[in-house]
Amino acid sequence: MTASVADAPAPADASPPSAKVIEVEGLKKYFDIGRGLFRGSVHLKAIDDVSFSIARGETMAVVGESGSGKTTLGRTLIRLLEPTGGKLLYDGQDITHTKEKELRWLRRKAQMIPQDPYSSVNAAFPVYRILEEPLIIHKEGDHAQRESAVMKALQSVKLNPPEFFANKYPHMLSGGQRQRVAIARALMLNPEFILADEPVSMLDASVRISILRLLRQIQHQFGIAFLYITHDLATAKHFSDRIGIMYAGKLAEEGPVGAVLGEPLHPYTQALMNAIPDPDPANRLTVRHALPGEPPMLISPPTGCHFHPRCPIAQIGLCDVKDPEWRELRPNHHVACHLAT
Amino acid sequence: MPVLDVRNLVLWYRTRKGPVHAVDDISFALEPGQTIALVGESGSGKTSTANAILRLLPKNVSRFEGEVRFDGQDVMEYDDETFRKTVRWRGISMVFQGAMNALNPTIRVGAQVAEPLMVHYDVDREEAADQAVEALRKVGLSADIVRRYPHELSGGMKQRVIIAMSLILKPKVVILDEPTSALDVMTQTNIINLLKDLKNAEGLSYIFITHDLGLASELADLVGIVYAGQLVEVGPSEGVFVRPKHPYTGKLLASVPRLRSEEAPDFIPGAPPDLTDPPPGCRFHLRCPVSFEKCGWSAAEFVEQVRLLQIAEETKNKLPAIAEMTVKGDLNLLIKPQPNGTAADFAERLNSLIAGNKEVYRFLKSVESVHPRTKSVEVKLHEGTPPPLFGEEWKASCWLLAGGGA
Repeated sequence: MTASVADAPAPADASPPSAKVIEVEGLKKYFDIGRGLFRGSVHLKAIDDVSFSIARGETMAVVGESGSGKTTLGRTLIRLLEPTGGKLLYDGQDITHTKEKELRWLRRKAQMIPQDPYSSVNAAFPVYRILEEPLIIHKEGDHAQRESAVMKALQSVKLNPPEFFANKYPHMLSGGQRQRVAIARALMLNPEFILADEPVSMLDASVRISILRLLRQIQHQFGIAFLYITHDLATAKHFSDRIGIMYAGKLAEEGPVGAVLGEPLHPYTQALMNAIPDPDPANRLTVRHALPGEPPMLISPPTGCHFHPRCPIAQIGLCDVKDPEWRELRPNHHVACHLAT
Repeated sequence: MPVLDVRNLVLWYRTRKGPVHAVDDISFALEPGQTIALVGESGSGKTSTANAILRLLPKNVSRFEGEVRFDGQDVMEYDDETFRKTVRWRGISMVFQGAMNALNPTIRVGAQVAEPLMVHYDVDREEAADQAVEALRKVGLSADIVRRYPHELSGGMKQRVIIAMSLILKPKVVILDEPTSALDVMTQTNIINLLKDLKNAEGLSYIFITHDLGLASELADLVGIVYAGQLVEVGPSEGVFVRPKHPYTGKLLASVPRLRSEEAPDFIPGAPPDLTDPPPGCRFHLRCPVSFEKCGWSAAEFVEQVRLLQIAEETKNKLPAIAEMTVKGDLNLLIKPQPNGTAADFAERLNSLIAGNKEVYRFLKSVESVHPRTKSVEVKLHEGTPPPLFGEEWKASCWLLAGGGA
């Protein structure tokens, strides 16, 4: 589908493309949740001082429990939200506070695949129109070029024969097929980066794997970088290159999948891995080790390391006082823990 | 003697499209202290099975029959009032999916936990309050929780309250319907550990309904695999998780992404069938990697599969163009080639397609004979029937197991 649609104009200065699609440094997103008469302004620190980068054509998974800030992180990366602080670079260009009017090129290069395939597409449009729309909005090609782009996109997501699916309406498709349409739509403008926020959590178990495999194929075929946001550590293991573990608005650990899951450095990552059972009849004979308590409220996180109240190895006087540094403890493998060695 | 023995349970719902075969002849038995996990995809009939056992039926039931033996009594014979008074909650209770979000926000937690006691046993308020504290203590909550309101509790605590409610009348069987589905991973583990403790301490029997095979293995002594309203395999978890007998169980296990294995998960092609019109023969045959002659292909399915071959990239040139396909009964069909081809030539190409591809496109195995007529080709299919459950302690319904094999 590269041939039919004219390449997007490069951002302002046409410097050679950076090896990193996205770089963030000390990224913060706070939500102001009202000023009480007597309590001054209150912030919810959804993302607090997060740093990492995503290289071209690579899939990074961000794994976290609900409320850990992973969805806010995704939305901030593609500037659906404006960061409160820190730095956000796209292709080496600083877009931390760029005005929406000047972000049209980003709206083309960065796409997203929504969580819910049942409500994310216009039910009144046939598939053809759903896929053609991004091209019309961005004034891409003539009628014939658009048609060939739509058919190619349908083929890329394995909706064959494309003519058959182009005329269907969303209600005529299964959940998995709709999600394929949403993926095809994200591909229409030849993006460099796709944000996939829980793209399979609404689908049946037997269909999930086929969608995740498709995303992996597309990543390799078109060299698109992905941010895969999920609560499911096991799918992150099998369908990404790097993995970041989020806890209470901060990254606890980040690195190549094999390194993070092969030698988890943060006690939270270790606990998370312990908590997830693979099918095994021996499981019922033992009690699984799990952490007590629940993640903190983001309006009043604990002092020091956000994880210290639940941490099995926390040292009082250190972990409850001092913020852990973001350290590169192994090559390319970062962790925020005072005690990790 | 089993504490619960379900035999040939059937529950159909009436809809405009025809009856939905939600539970279609399901049987299993549960010994005291034993747990069975019912595992299947959404819409396979797991929750309907639980509702049928507890007789919690919507208005549009079109068929409800079978035996439910609880403690040796066939409780299907009981009238609704007797069933409500003696079986439901007293004998068999349930943790409903999402129940923690259905707690009454205006009533203190203690009163909600104690309510079944006052309804069923007519205990006085003080006694009920004491027992509520005791039940909450058992699920790991402190006594002061009785005075709190649901909104003051975290998700994990609310789920513990729901479990306390299900235990307050000291039932022998507890049905757990996705008891951790709305909880975070760590909280889920804590709840599962609690359920393990309770099972051992109280000698409870669970029916654990889940779509997650990993979670199922945390509690299951027995595993029942539910597909399209039927139990396709049921047996001890040491067997079913390790050497599954039914091809569906095998595919389901292979589709689980595992944290402790590098093996890439595989998917199951196709989608579960529409239960208003379940497929003939074995209900899994359309998606099965090893289906063969006996599995029950119909002429209508054959026509559909040939159409798919004709549009798929890799197979579209394998058969000459077809003008028309007509279904003549369950097992017979006529294929009329385009005018530029003869029937004899078409029959020959079809036969060579079958010979060369039937291991990949399994539906081709269903062809019994191909007869060229004057203008069209008559295809006759093998007759197939639904497979029964083969085996004693460990059963599976697949024709490949006929004759005691595998």
